[in-house]
Amino acid sequence: MERWEQFQGVYVHTPFCLQKCLYCDFPSYAGFPDGVRQQYVGALCREIEVRSLQQELPVAKGATVYFGGGTPTVLTVEQIGKIVSTLKRCGWWNRPAEATIEANPGTVDAEKLKALREIGFDRISLGVQSLQDKELGALGRIHTAEQALCATEEAKQAGFRRINADLMSGIPCQTVESFRNTLTKILQLNLSHISAYSLILEEGTPLERLAREGKVQLPDEEASFNMYEMTTEVLAQAGLQRYEISNYAVPGKESVHNTVYWNYEPYAAFGAGACSFNGKERRTNTADVLQYIKGSANLSLAALKTDTGLWQTESPDRKTQISEAMIMGLRMTDGVNLQKMQQRFGIDILESYGKEIQILLDRKMAECGGGTLRLTPYGMRYGNRAFEAFI
Amino acid sequence: MRFFPLLAACFEKKLFIRERNGISRKDYMQKDHIRNFSIIAHIDHGKSTLADRLIEMTGTLSKREMEEQILDSMDLEKERGITIKDQAVQSIYQAKNGEDYMLNFIDTPGHVDFNYEVSRALAACEGALLVIDASQGIEAQTLANTYLALDNNLEIVPVINKIDLPSADPDKVRKEIEDVIGIDASEAVLCSAKTGEGVDDILEAIVERIPAPVCDDNKPLKALVFDSKFDSYKGVLLYLRVYDGTIRKGMKIEMMATGATYEVTEVGVFKPAPVNVDVLTAGEVGFLAAAIKTVGEARVGDTVTDAAHPADEPLPGYRKATPMVFCGLYPVENTDYDNLRDALEKLHLNDAALLFEPETSTALGFGFRCGFLGLLHMDVIKERLEREYKLDLITTAPNVVYQIDKTNGDIELVDNPSAFPDPTVIATVSEPYVTATIIVPKDYVGAVMELSQEKRGEYQNMTYLDEDRVMIHYSLPLSEIIYDYFDRLKSCSRGYASLDYELSGYKPSDLVKVDILLNGDPVDALSAIVHRENAQVQGRRLVERLRSLIPRQQFSIPVQAAIGNKVIAREDVAALRKDVLAKCYGGDITRKRKLLEKQKAGKKRMKQVGTVELPQEAFMAILSMDKKK
Repeated sequence: MERWEQFQGVYVHTPFCLQKCLYCDFPSYAGFPDGVRQQYVGALCREIEVRSLQQELPVAKGATVYFGGGTPTVLTVEQIGKIVSTLKRCGWWNRPAEATIEANPGTVDAEKLKALREIGFDRISLGVQSLQDKELGALGRIHTAEQALCATEEAKQAGFRRINADLMSGIPCQTVESFRNTLTKILQLNLSHISAYSLILEEGTPLERLAREGKVQLPDEEASFNMYEMTTEVLAQAGLQRYEISNYAVPGKESVHNTVYWNYEPYAAFGAGACSFNGKERRTNTADVLQYIKGSANLSLAALKTDTGLWQTESPDRKTQISEAMIMGLRMTDGVNLQKMQQRFGIDILESYGKEIQILLDRKMAECGGGTLRLTPYGMRYGNRAFEAFI
Repeated sequence: MRFFPLLAACFEKKLFIRERNGISRKDYMQKDHIRNFSIIAHIDHGKSTLADRLIEMTGTLSKREMEEQILDSMDLEKERGITIKDQAVQSIYQAKNGEDYMLNFIDTPGHVDFNYEVSRALAACEGALLVIDASQGIEAQTLANTYLALDNNLEIVPVINKIDLPSADPDKVRKEIEDVIGIDASEAVLCSAKTGEGVDDILEAIVERIPAPVCDDNKPLKALVFDSKFDSYKGVLLYLRVYDGTIRKGMKIEMMATGATYEVTEVGVFKPAPVNVDVLTAGEVGFLAAAIKTVGEARVGDTVTDAAHPADEPLPGYRKATPMVFCGLYPVENTDYDNLRDALEKLHLNDAALLFEPETSTALGFGFRCGFLGLLHMDVIKERLEREYKLDLITTAPNVVYQIDKTNGDIELVDNPSAFPDPTVIATVSEPYVTATIIVPKDYVGAVMELSQEKRGEYQNMTYLDEDRVMIHYSLPLSEIIYDYFDRLKSCSRGYASLDYELSGYKPSDLVKVDILLNGDPVDALSAIVHRENAQVQGRRLVERLRSLIPRQQFSIPVQAAIGNKVIAREDVAALRKDVLAKCYGGDITRKRKLLEKQKAGKKRMKQVGTVELPQEAFMAILSMDKKK
């Protein structure tokens, strides 16, 4: 059976945070009482159970598990444990090649980290963002640089071998130097993985409004660009190779779960706002926590086949699937395997997009060879323009 | 029918009843009971509202059927609140003397661009209502239109409208009419088209003061084509004013200018929807259809006569409309070229003033050089092409027609800046000038003069209309008018100034061609003709404007202005340093893809010129560059 015919990853969403960051446009909410979280965990387990009965696609052996948010670690160890045991019981947690949990450094301590390790997570992704308190404050983060360093240290002690730190560049109060300082400090921790994002000002977020109104000063374009270039350079020197536009890893320690997305392979996702993809249909659950809880209570096997209002579905046509597969695949430095595209979609990419690809090759934005099409570092810099070729 | 007089009488009676129900039977209308009239007014003085009210009060349409400003039927006309094409409406009015009169109302456009159409409409009338806003008084187009009416020997009935406004001052307006126009205003009709007050007085004045047509049903047919409209089922509809003779369905007619003959398939009148009638008689206004395929076969201004019994002499025709403003129209997608040509041909069917011929630009590919009566005409055509024909277009900046006297004695007319000859072969360049009439409150005279001076105007004279308002005459290059003169005139007078102008002839000017280079390559569609003294400043502003309009790309783009080989200004569109979505995971795909789709769709509306993507506005940059000043 082909990889794109089985779920290769399982995602579980926790839409809660202690405080919403100023730049965040994810489905995540601060301020729900404990009772709602408890109900949410119940609803989540119900969705996991019911959907396992549906047998939409088989779950691949070793399919990855990823607990994201929001902040999964605002849930108690017991709550997380309950979700994991439900996953296991229903066959979604099946000796995963990788089991990751995201954590906000302000929400974990040595004990909790140890417990997470014992539950079965072998990879942790810490939302460090910056190691400058001023910058953290300007983003609306709840933790300090000290807490971030401490949490990383504790994660190591708890036995996590695979630790990722999320970093951001182009954020308020940041300078090229302060960012270099953050990079230097983080590298001293010898982590195996770094995700380094340039800030995206998402419409509707407080930070976007503040920036628009001139109430917060962002680094200028030149500085942001220098940070972007510096990231690749500094991390490479430390042995962390770029393998996706914003992701760096010690070779062999790349995130298996995220690679499922970029390879456009099927994944199941549970929770409010979570988005599943079975290779043909995309299903997005309501992001409204209370509606999700209510909807989940009404779930039954029969209802799965009808519209319960719990989710919306979208079925990208073949052409859209191809363009999505290209957009996602070209994010990786390894690029897109053209033979796999041929097998999966019956399309000769070089022939169908010949004219567009030739322009990318001429402009040195892409390279072709060894059966793959991939973007050059220059092409990644202008990724959106390269992706447009396949839209 | 002749053999059954009784039956015929019954028929007549029945028809007469039908007429009272709003369906005309004009056979029974005596010539002295026909009135043909127009309404002339400055824009916004209430012409269309008055027309609506007249139609409503004569019962041609019930109030329920009245749609606001029924005559302005094109969407664009409604949106812009202007009338572009002539309309002709017939109504039956029972006067206070108890008799029925046939009123033929011919609507006229209110914008200076369409003066030509105004004069056509006026030629078909015996009288005109001169509508003046009671609070605004005489404006520039009031004058221009009045002179057109006087040229056509029309009886003018002054109407002072909007008397319901608190600021209305009818006495002052009366005095202005007498002082400025020089016609008797003692019997000016006061009205409010909005409330309906005084509208019956207008109807009475039309009956009493506008002369009936002088005509004869028994003479050979002579009918003036004052407009035409293409109908995809009936062919060309000719709007006619019959001077002598009658027109019936089935009759064979001849166009006197072309000699072409047709069989009449339909005759009718507008009420305001077309209604077929049996016959159009002398003195009346209506339409005919005769399976005429193109407007070119039956030109506006031509005389229709009876092919069997032709008239000796045609009616005096019109001068041909001369386009004064030219621009290039190009499809954004080259594959739309044929569609654009078809659309232009269709529009041309209804609008003889629109000229177009194929043109090739190295930057824009295949397109058309089009001639228009003025800027509004150009905008209207462009919008109709985009809306009604769903075309994505690039319009190059408008320009006038230059006359170039070459050193070898040849004279060349140039309607496209890129065709401007090499300076070495030019002896003199002349450009069209207009005489502009500006009416403005006296406090703004200084500002108007300053603006006109900047626009290379030559002051001619100034007269006081009353203690507050003055009329100024300037001689101005037409090219300055078509750029932004009117907008700036409005803004420097806080909206109070009104403007009208007429072509006064060509004058030599020291003009040069400014070329624009992108990435070092000249872009022909961006060239502009400017006065030598302004070239430096204009060139600088143009490149600044282009820099702000051209989206940043992966490389920096030098934008240069040059006269010949000499670069006079340069700006650089800085390179975009990066353009990539930092984050994209499972849940984001749809949103991010849509974002990219939107971005790509935006680019599709741009024109790739060499390696540079130019937005449509870039080609009109010269029009918008003075805005911030």
